[in-house]
Amino acid sequence: MSAIAHGDGQRHGDHPPAAHASSRVPPVLVGMYLFIASEAMLFGSFFAAYFFARVSVGAETWPPEPFELPVFLALLNTIILVTSSFTIHWALQSIKRDDRAGLIAGLGLTFLLGLAFLLIQAREYTRLGFSPRDLGFGSTFYGLTGLHGLHVFVGLTLLAIAFVRAVRGHYSARNHQGVELPGIYWHFVDVMWIVVYTTVYVI
Amino acid sequence: MAVEALKHGHGTAQRPAAPRGLRRLTRGGWLRALWTTPLGFGLATALVCGIRWAAGWEPIWELQVLLTAWTIITPLAFLAGMGAFDYWAYWVSGRRTRPEDHSGHGADSWRDYLRVNTDHKVIGVQYVVTTFGFFLIAGLLALFVRAELAQPGSQFVDTQGYNGLVSAHAALMIFLFIVPVFAGFGNYVIPLMIGAPDMAFPRLNALSFWLLPIAGGTMLAGFLLPGGQFAAGWTNYPPLAEVNPVGNLMFQMGVQFAGASSILTALNFLVTIITMRAPGMTFWRMPLLVWANFTTSLLVVLATPFIAGSQFMLLLDRVLHTNFFVPDAAGYAIGYQHIFWFYSHPAVYIMILPGFGIISEVISTFARKPIFGYRLMALSLVAILILGFAVWAHHMFVAGMAPWLRIPMMVTTLLIAVPTGIKVFSWLATLWEGKLNLKTPMLWALGFILMFVIGGLSGVYLGSVTIDQHASDTYFVVAHIHYVLFGGSVFTIFAGAYYWFPKMTGRMYDERLGYVHFWLTVIGFNLTFFVQHYVGLQGMPRRVADYDPSFASWNMLSTIGAFTLGAGTLVFVYNLLVSWLRGSPAPANPWRARTLEWLVSSPPPKFNFEEIPTVVGGPYGYGVPGARHAVFNGDRAGTAEPEEVGAR
Repeated sequence: MSAIAHGDGQRHGDHPPAAHASSRVPPVLVGMYLFIASEAMLFGSFFAAYFFARVSVGAETWPPEPFELPVFLALLNTIILVTSSFTIHWALQSIKRDDRAGLIAGLGLTFLLGLAFLLIQAREYTRLGFSPRDLGFGSTFYGLTGLHGLHVFVGLTLLAIAFVRAVRGHYSARNHQGVELPGIYWHFVDVMWIVVYTTVYVI
Repeated sequence: MAVEALKHGHGTAQRPAAPRGLRRLTRGGWLRALWTTPLGFGLATALVCGIRWAAGWEPIWELQVLLTAWTIITPLAFLAGMGAFDYWAYWVSGRRTRPEDHSGHGADSWRDYLRVNTDHKVIGVQYVVTTFGFFLIAGLLALFVRAELAQPGSQFVDTQGYNGLVSAHAALMIFLFIVPVFAGFGNYVIPLMIGAPDMAFPRLNALSFWLLPIAGGTMLAGFLLPGGQFAAGWTNYPPLAEVNPVGNLMFQMGVQFAGASSILTALNFLVTIITMRAPGMTFWRMPLLVWANFTTSLLVVLATPFIAGSQFMLLLDRVLHTNFFVPDAAGYAIGYQHIFWFYSHPAVYIMILPGFGIISEVISTFARKPIFGYRLMALSLVAILILGFAVWAHHMFVAGMAPWLRIPMMVTTLLIAVPTGIKVFSWLATLWEGKLNLKTPMLWALGFILMFVIGGLSGVYLGSVTIDQHASDTYFVVAHIHYVLFGGSVFTIFAGAYYWFPKMTGRMYDERLGYVHFWLTVIGFNLTFFVQHYVGLQGMPRRVADYDPSFASWNMLSTIGAFTLGAGTLVFVYNLLVSWLRGSPAPANPWRARTLEWLVSSPPPKFNFEEIPTVVGGPYGYGVPGARHAVFNGDRAGTAEPEEVGAR
């Protein structure tokens, strides 16, 4: 992987010999997958707390009386987020064909969909009728959805950076890791939401 | 500091010229950190007080909330000042990235060890020195504890102060010594062992190190707070953790920094090992130390988020008054213990597997024999990795958890003795009829096997539900943990420290003082902890500042042992410091070992290898005719006989 060791191959002074690439997958991708595995486990700890509050404490109904969850509003949010996974994929496929307009449009759309998700969630929070202080139920609900919202925020930040760089023409068919990495992260945020939604709202 | 970085083949490093005047305040380094750190502190204060004032919350000056903001924002401001984020800030700003000029790489003077440095060898030394500093501090705390326990009754601390001492001793030893010191050794030797010029993500590596002093500083700062140090033990169980004074926050925040550091380093190790091995270095030719760090890193990446999550939830419970673990409001307090141990049981393997790796290297080298059952040694690491996730609730047999969970957890716990036993028998079989070379690292390795087997056996006792119910929360558990963590992990750390000292510093240590250190430690250690098995089974409870007078003489013995141990540690520190300054120069390969780090000079050149070696065989071919681990054949490609290296 001479790219890691050498930057663009210019020599400014001391340089290491290029490391031998012992994997076909670039290091940054391996790193990203491992980071996501770690993130999934962080969600795991919050899921654990959720199920303890739900199963071990043994509430009679879930959500416990008198609370209710806006299942259909959250379904709308789910649809928005799943759509954004397709748009980011479109952005990546576009730049692989050197189609910069498609890249910019795809990134922009993804960003807007993600932003819509966050705004709807914020609106939902203000109208739920319970706070994180209401029982273990409230804490674990806000814990899981809030942790996910935080990840959407981080994903949006990465997308915004990628968008700016895309507009400035930093990406090409040969060089698009700056799109691919936020893309992988965004897919993770999306898949995680499907799990959170199914657990918290549906079942 | 004896680091004469060898000049590399083509040209010299062109570091940017040292800035003068006010420019020095804006370039990453201590001078910039000197103003960004107070700035961050002020910002955090203004943020908290401003929000509380605007929202009309009383009181505006709320220490617990302020501490939370301080311990998050101030360290980040410090890191930004040091320049840990400079490259990423440049990337985020949307400008075109610059080619890496390696200006942050390597050390020409001692000052280069005190800045954000991207060289894995410099970071390795930074890690090891820093963590040994925390080892001395935490050891000092242990001596306070033993002094208090020398006699029944209260000597010089009150009960809360005593709990603070015990908690800080454990937290520092675990999160700031044993876990990260292995990351330090790994940092130094893994890239060398696999034939890589550096780690995969050098800047991330630098950040990982600098998170560590922050974690330690945060935890130690707890001693200065009103109400004293965090005092709910290193396990920090609620509800005690949620009602204790504010010092408790310092554990929660310190653990977050230490955990982030260890996740990032583990991720770096994994990527480095997966993507940067030298040609021919297949997984089945990797030294066992690399295997050990590979499995450990997987554990870290997958388990550490659980302690992060548990401490986040505790923090929310304390500061935002949520109810994750509050039984009165339909939270589940024992849930904390499950989440905590789901990390902290794998964590005991995080604290011993790299040590297993060190012992494998040392024993094979100093017995002059190939390691017995190499593949099974590697696979047993993987078995421990998998089983390690399935035993956590054996820490909770008496906690009031679901009773049906006990038997499965007991079975998996006893099962884990199988792969561990494989390792012990493999080491013994390697020693069998070997030509033992009893240098200091080998002494520690032999001592380790003996001590670890004792600790392992008491672990099997405690793993069985019936005995655990009797021995839980007694000094029997204290004895067990110290036999596996001190007699186990710390002995391997000493073995590793002596083994790689010549490679890391370019100097030889004093063999005689190494012997003195070893024997003082072995005698002091057993005196301290062996008696605790007995008093524990007699019912002396742990984590209590006072005890029944009938245990007085045993405890006095234990205290004498602890101070002997302390004296041994002073010999160690003296030996290494003086040898580092004035020891005789070390040859490239003083132990006639065969792994790749011994192919290069001591200390290694700035970029490790002039040319990446080609690996042609396993690393432990001692005494095997014609066996070789690696060759350099770049310039001689095509010639009949590649130059043999490493085998003598």
